[in-house]
Amino acid sequence: MQEFLQQLTNGLAVGGIYALIALGYTMVYGVLKLINFAHGELFALGAYLGFTLLVTLGLSDFMGGVGVVFLLLIFAMGLVAIAGYFLERVAYRPLRQSNRLAAVVSALGASIFFQNAMMLVYGTKALVYPGGILPSVVVSVLGVEIPLIRILIFASSVLLMCLLFWFIHHTRTGAAVRAVSLDQGAARLMGINVNRIISLIFLIGPALGAAAGVMVGLLYGQIRYDMGVGYGLKAFTAAILGGIGNIPGAMAGGILLGVIEALGAAYISIAWKDAIAFFTLILILIFRPTGLLGERVADKV
Amino acid sequence: MKRYLLPAALFLLATLSPAMAANVKIGLMAPLTGAYASEGEDMEKLVRLLVEEKNKAGGINGAAVELVVEDDGSTPRDAGNAANRLTAKGVPVVIGTYGSAITEASQEIYAEAGIVQIATGSTSIRLTAKGFARFFRTCPRDDEQGRVAAETIARLGYKKIAILHDNSVYAKGLAEESRDRILKDGIAEIIFYDALQPNERDYSAILTKLKGINPEAILFTGYYTEAGLLLRQMAEMKWFAPMIGGDATNNVGLVEIAGPAAKGYRFISPALPEDIDTPQAKAFLAAYKAKYRSMPSSIWPVLAGDAFNVLAAAIEARGTDPEAIAAYLHRDLKDFDGLSGKISFDEKGDRVGDLYRLYEVDARGKFVLVP
Amino acid sequence: MSLLSPPLRWLAFFACLAATPPLLRLFGVDGGGAVQIGALNDIGIYLILALSLNIILGYAGLFHMGHTAFFAVGAYASAILNTSHGWPILQTMPVAGLLAAFFALLVAGPIIRLRGDYLLVVTIGVVEIVRIVLLNNVFDLTGGANGISGISRAEIFGLRLTTPADLFYLIWAFAGLTVILCSLLENSRFGRALKYIKQDEVAAAGCGINISLYKIQAFVLGAFWAGMAGTLLAVKMRLVDPESFTFSQSVMLFAIVILGGSGSIAGVVLGSFLLIGLQEIFRDFSQARMLAFGAAMVIMMVFRPQGLIPARRRRYDLRGLTGVFPRALGRRGGAEGT
Repeated sequence: MQEFLQQLTNGLAVGGIYALIALGYTMVYGVLKLINFAHGELFALGAYLGFTLLVTLGLSDFMGGVGVVFLLLIFAMGLVAIAGYFLERVAYRPLRQSNRLAAVVSALGASIFFQNAMMLVYGTKALVYPGGILPSVVVSVLGVEIPLIRILIFASSVLLMCLLFWFIHHTRTGAAVRAVSLDQGAARLMGINVNRIISLIFLIGPALGAAAGVMVGLLYGQIRYDMGVGYGLKAFTAAILGGIGNIPGAMAGGILLGVIEALGAAYISIAWKDAIAFFTLILILIFRPTGLLGERVADKV
Repeated sequence: MKRYLLPAALFLLATLSPAMAANVKIGLMAPLTGAYASEGEDMEKLVRLLVEEKNKAGGINGAAVELVVEDDGSTPRDAGNAANRLTAKGVPVVIGTYGSAITEASQEIYAEAGIVQIATGSTSIRLTAKGFARFFRTCPRDDEQGRVAAETIARLGYKKIAILHDNSVYAKGLAEESRDRILKDGIAEIIFYDALQPNERDYSAILTKLKGINPEAILFTGYYTEAGLLLRQMAEMKWFAPMIGGDATNNVGLVEIAGPAAKGYRFISPALPEDIDTPQAKAFLAAYKAKYRSMPSSIWPVLAGDAFNVLAAAIEARGTDPEAIAAYLHRDLKDFDGLSGKISFDEKGDRVGDLYRLYEVDARGKFVLVP
Repeated sequence: MSLLSPPLRWLAFFACLAATPPLLRLFGVDGGGAVQIGALNDIGIYLILALSLNIILGYAGLFHMGHTAFFAVGAYASAILNTSHGWPILQTMPVAGLLAAFFALLVAGPIIRLRGDYLLVVTIGVVEIVRIVLLNNVFDLTGGANGISGISRAEIFGLRLTTPADLFYLIWAFAGLTVILCSLLENSRFGRALKYIKQDEVAAAGCGINISLYKIQAFVLGAFWAGMAGTLLAVKMRLVDPESFTFSQSVMLFAIVILGGSGSIAGVVLGSFLLIGLQEIFRDFSQARMLAFGAAMVIMMVFRPQGLIPARRRRYDLRGLTGVFPRALGRRGGAEGT
């Protein structure tokens, strides 16, 4: 039982990160019906920009602890949001009126571009966040030993998600975002500047991805130029699992995927972990074709 | 008109053929992109420096060395294309490459072109079991390392061990060889045997499971990034079981990732250049450090460098005819002083000799030879 | 009428290709053109795969990003039959195709009703599952990470295919066959039904087309062809390993079809040449090779959103019909695709 709980917490930490990245996929999908395949690379870019601030600009020499983490997050999120904004302008906006799949291929190209750009700038070797920014303490909760850093990471990803949820559901701009995702034409008639809302989505989504990137850097230490592919695919899976386009769905999907992976690795097989995750996804989609929280869409007639 | 066309074409071909080239061409096929790009980058850096030094010292028999580099993309398909390109550029010899399956995809192309190939990181047993007369490798084979790993476990006296690999050709081969040895010689009980997924970051699920079954030691046969992450996350969990690894963890990156948690980690590997007691090795390391401001990050670029060194020696002695080079490497090259120790090849092209040493990471993060 | 000129164009295209190897040798390209021929062989295999994907993605409009799974099944089937059971490698081709088709039938059955992007992620999942199964050496058949090597050389009428040029003719003959069959398919009742489903599923169902059945048939047919392309890969590489069948290969195929022109044979052919060929041409950029490639993909897509050579809508000769209103029929509908 105790091991089970332990594995559950392992899964939650990973799942929190998946969820945070999945939000970027789901938000873009919600308004543009586009799978932004470059989102995984934006997440990796966040991790790298965090590294630059920490090591190259020497932030970790000045201060430690929570202050550093806060600054890192702001810095990486801000810059990656700008990258996301330009990504949309250059690679997606010209394609908004065309075939949906054209934008998908453009996204795939952008993803290859970003990944190789990071490789050229930061090198092929894995880079390492300096250790000791956050205390390495193990907290014992109900007999389950959890490293404090994992609790902090999970808590901050939940916090970010709550902020987003509040923003979408309790602000005027949030209402506009929801309106645009429901019906762009009608939203435009209501006086909403659709282009601005889409740009906004491409600021928020990548920013959340960047936050996840920094968290991965802080938690695991090691970042690599191609890390976006693996995390991106998992997060995208999570978004689909929860019902793409649906914000609580992405959160639930991410956390669920993390937990499935951890439990699958623990009780079935480690080598088959990813196969188990995908297999579960397929099973769930067979029974719920639009994901866990996705709305049933009637066929257009 | 037609009558002249063929001779003309033949003449054209003849002028393009490598025999007329004044330079000695040496091919390097390395993973400059893809999963193993970090190894390939250092391979190229190290071999380039050796070529530079060689040319500064007057080249090989007065002819300048020209290094022709192609990217194998870390995939078999790209390797086939890279091999075609090197063949077309008329190199008599090729250094490379790193991954076993990738080397395998190129072996036949070189063999058909009669090119001498020296693989540098491909440890899979079957590569030299196919009877290619001009294929060599400067790295030892998986079974040799498996034997040493089993012996090391016996020497350290662990009785209950867990074996973890990452399902790559290399790691799985090593894990299987070690497991078979350990079981055959009754060295220890293997209470866990499974593969993790490389290129992920969170191994807490596996570690929690391992901690539950509590092995005396973990034998991890994969690469340094995963080893570093495992060590780091073990320390996070405050679990300090001894871990032993193979030569793919011989990389300074391990210490960078694991931080203080790397202390006490042990691995077996061919000797590092700094532990080779020859003036050439010392001088070369100094030059490398001066040029690139770092040490070679792992043993694999060093083995690529050694491939260059033996090829240079062979060409110096016998010229650029691949047949003669292969004969020289098979028979005449004995106990050559390389950057990774003495080099000789057996009739299959495998490197012979007792290469493996046991290393331990000390408190400062340095790799220290365990006597 | 419209059937007459394109075949001639294709004939000229394939004749030029067939003349390439001797020409390369004649002009004394380094190494007898092995580099260029090797690249063309790659392009050929991708072309065959992309055309088979085109049936699923281009005609039926199913978001299928897992085509390498079928390719892998075919390649492994051939490799296993050849190395463990001593079948001549080319004779394994039909079996490879059938096994891939059967696998597609198993997979497609339950997931065929999924909508667009849900189907897309499931097909990605299938590729990953297949790769993991191959990697973990299930039933001790697939050789794990090592894959299977030692595949014997192909023989045709007692002729052993040894050089890249020999393979070139094998691969491109098959590619030519694929083009012919695809163009027949395009204009067949089946092909038209698929396109109708892509344009408007509800209307197609209303016309009595059994949507799920047709979709599954498209999957099975595409997979059959991809499985046979797998045999060609086994012939060419003489080894198969799990890393040759990754998600990124599927992505490349997907991009070839969309970028070339979804549902257009000429477009897919051009897409294969561009996307696979560019990777070779960009080799001179060294490490920046894929950076340039990614940028090129975005640029091409932005400037040709409908694909390089978009599919033309089928035109009907309506002059024979009476009345005025049919004249307008051919112009309605606007842009292809949704």
